[in-house]
Amino acid sequence: MNIVASNIIYSKKVEVEPFNEIRKIHGSQIISSDYPAYLVDESKLEGTADWLFFPKSEGEIISIINYLREKKIPAYISAARTGIVGSSVPKCGSILSIEKMDKMLGFGFDENNGNYFCRFEPGITLKAINDKILKKEVEKVKELTPNTISRFIKEKKSYYYPMDPTEMSASISGTVATNASGAGTFKYGATRKWVKKIRVALAIGEILEIQRGKYFASNDGTFIVKQTDGTDLVFKIPSYKFNTNVKNAAGIYAKPNMDLIDLFIGSEGIFGVITEVEVWIIEKHPLISNVLFFNSEENALDFVKKIRNNQTVSPEFIEYFSGESLDLLRNIQNNNPALINMPQIPFKARSAIFFDLPYSEDNLVSYFEKIDKLAKQCNTTLEASWSGYDNREFARFKHFRHALPETVNSIIAERKRQYPDLHKLGTDMCVPEEKFGEMMKYYHSVLREATLEYVIFGHIGDNHVHLNILPRNTKELKLGVKIYEQFAKKAVEYGGSVSAEHGIGKIKVDFLKIMYNEKEIEQMRTVKRALDPLLLFNCGNIFEMKGV
Amino acid sequence: MKIIVTIKQVPEADKVAVNQETGTLIREGVESILNPFCEYALDMAVKIRDENPDIVVEINAISMGPPQAKMALLRCLELGADKAFLLSDLAFAGSDVWATALTLKEGIRKFLPNFDLILCGKHAIDGDTAQVPAELAENLGIPQIFYGIDAKVEKKKIRVKKETENGFQIIETRTPALITISKGPSNIRRLPSMKNIIEARNKPLETITADKLDIEKEKLGLNGSYTQVINIFAPPIKETGKIIDGSDPGKAAEQMMAFLRERKLIKFEVD
Repeated sequence: MNIVASNIIYSKKVEVEPFNEIRKIHGSQIISSDYPAYLVDESKLEGTADWLFFPKSEGEIISIINYLREKKIPAYISAARTGIVGSSVPKCGSILSIEKMDKMLGFGFDENNGNYFCRFEPGITLKAINDKILKKEVEKVKELTPNTISRFIKEKKSYYYPMDPTEMSASISGTVATNASGAGTFKYGATRKWVKKIRVALAIGEILEIQRGKYFASNDGTFIVKQTDGTDLVFKIPSYKFNTNVKNAAGIYAKPNMDLIDLFIGSEGIFGVITEVEVWIIEKHPLISNVLFFNSEENALDFVKKIRNNQTVSPEFIEYFSGESLDLLRNIQNNNPALINMPQIPFKARSAIFFDLPYSEDNLVSYFEKIDKLAKQCNTTLEASWSGYDNREFARFKHFRHALPETVNSIIAERKRQYPDLHKLGTDMCVPEEKFGEMMKYYHSVLREATLEYVIFGHIGDNHVHLNILPRNTKELKLGVKIYEQFAKKAVEYGGSVSAEHGIGKIKVDFLKIMYNEKEIEQMRTVKRALDPLLLFNCGNIFEMKGV
Repeated sequence: MKIIVTIKQVPEADKVAVNQETGTLIREGVESILNPFCEYALDMAVKIRDENPDIVVEINAISMGPPQAKMALLRCLELGADKAFLLSDLAFAGSDVWATALTLKEGIRKFLPNFDLILCGKHAIDGDTAQVPAELAENLGIPQIFYGIDAKVEKKKIRVKKETENGFQIIETRTPALITISKGPSNIRRLPSMKNIIEARNKPLETITADKLDIEKEKLGLNGSYTQVINIFAPPIKETGKIIDGSDPGKAAEQMMAFLRERKLIKFEVD
């Protein structure tokens, strides 16, 4: 008999390493004086903790969990801390840093879908992953399927892991725990679909090995975790409809008969500690980067619609720069052109679209001629553009994309000198395609009326732009916060999400309540209580919950 | 006005490492690019054209190299060259600076006669010899100006601002002449537009083989080279210095004195 799928999963015991041999720091003062980086993430939210652990293996993680469970000390899982909603910021108790677990463990090939896959420890960074795969440094890792590694090394093709959430210093487990996405989500989707298998350490001190396609919720939404002591953890997945019409990173993922692995992906570490990850990799094709300028936002939006609906053009991503964004970059360019390191932004441009296309000399001209037709329909020409396909040119285009948020951050840092409480208001909302134009108009009209300074940029291909409000003083900050909430409500009213990619973490918990009612949030809490009955892990992420 | 820009395709030099055992370059995964100084030369040619709208300026890019060097010429066509010529043949393989200059000279004499100006990069970032331009000018019997940072056309003359160790000189010469360029007109590298990318692929890019040039076989490639690269090695790693902890200045001074005395770098004694 062969069980193909089941809603029952057995947790496993692993060899537990001695607790006293684990590297750890004890004392909140020494942690805040000598290890301050572990108390913040990119949101700059600051926390506190009494313990800081650096486990080197799954056995050490279990050892730490057993200790914390016994002493009733909460744990905050810390990966690369590149998140921007405070998910990894500790509120108290302990920090469990997985950064010492940064190795590639295995390499395999799936005959069914013809793809290679890699197994990693949780702390390896995306950059390290791609360095290893691009250079084919896989000789020393475990061969997970026969005769795979030598064949892979001999292949002429290049491979990579296509997830790029901008911060390539992010860790693999962090990106799984947050279902990280980015510009490339337009073509490759978010992290979820690239995850083949994970191992998760639960609060009971046992491991769940979850392979995609093996464990599915029963028709009534139940999962059963059978522990080694014979007792069961039984829970029901939330019954709400998780919004998949738009890019969405708000709340616990749920759908009828869902795969158990999807419950953990994007759960912001509230159910357990990811100790191992297997992901698919794919062939890397040459690309050409392009920035096309338009004389109005309407024309740019029209172009996005056209390129998205064109079956023959297949961009890797479609990114947006509003007129306000270009003005900000022009200012920098006038003062210090090297900071932008691009030719002068055309004088008349009032918006720009940045897109990468597959590059091959055989079809480049026909490809560009198709774009030319679309551009002309949107009142621009290919003359008003930049293009590049060398590696060093890619780096420039990438820099150009990052220059805008960096410029915003430096302007805010400058204003902070006068108003220390000031901070940037960066939104992450997403609406369905049919509402996108309306939402953009709404943004502009509200912000112009309020005379606030702002820029709009980002993943327009996914109808997901980042609106950054740059308050000039405390009064404007207060007004901006109010307006931000107003926008979040509007996005949900339009069928969108309050967070398309950043997640909820600790700083957007109130925004979750705009999207989900109390009953629905309670359903999330129920799953949390079942998998982590003592409330050890990451309490305060996604929804309010008092930990141990 | 006919301008020739000689160019070279080079590996991105800062990414190339040397295999210490075999003395060869590790070029795996390293992209080939248009030599940055050659790009400056092309930029200067485009600047001359832009500054002289009343003159018809034709920009020709020429290179000697393997077939893949076409990509560097294509970049020139994207960035404003009108025509490109690639001298490519197995017979050219192993050319040193002399054989390269001779081959380029023949290519120019045969396919681009009656030129007014030759612009070259001051050197290529892979070989760093900076000899081909000088030898080319000598072979062609034309004046040469090195390390140009600006050039202005005045009838049958060219006025060049050149870098010197202490500042700059402005030198004038009759055309035809050869100028090497050490700095582009802008600090920001130009980018082609998507339109330029399409147009470049419709511009003439001609490959010229050895049999099209009137050079005896023994003067080509390795046979015609007076010099050969015997070994390539990375510069020896310098020993790191010793850092003295300066938190106690008295102790630090004592340690420094001891260090200098030990090496007999200091002779007098202090009471």
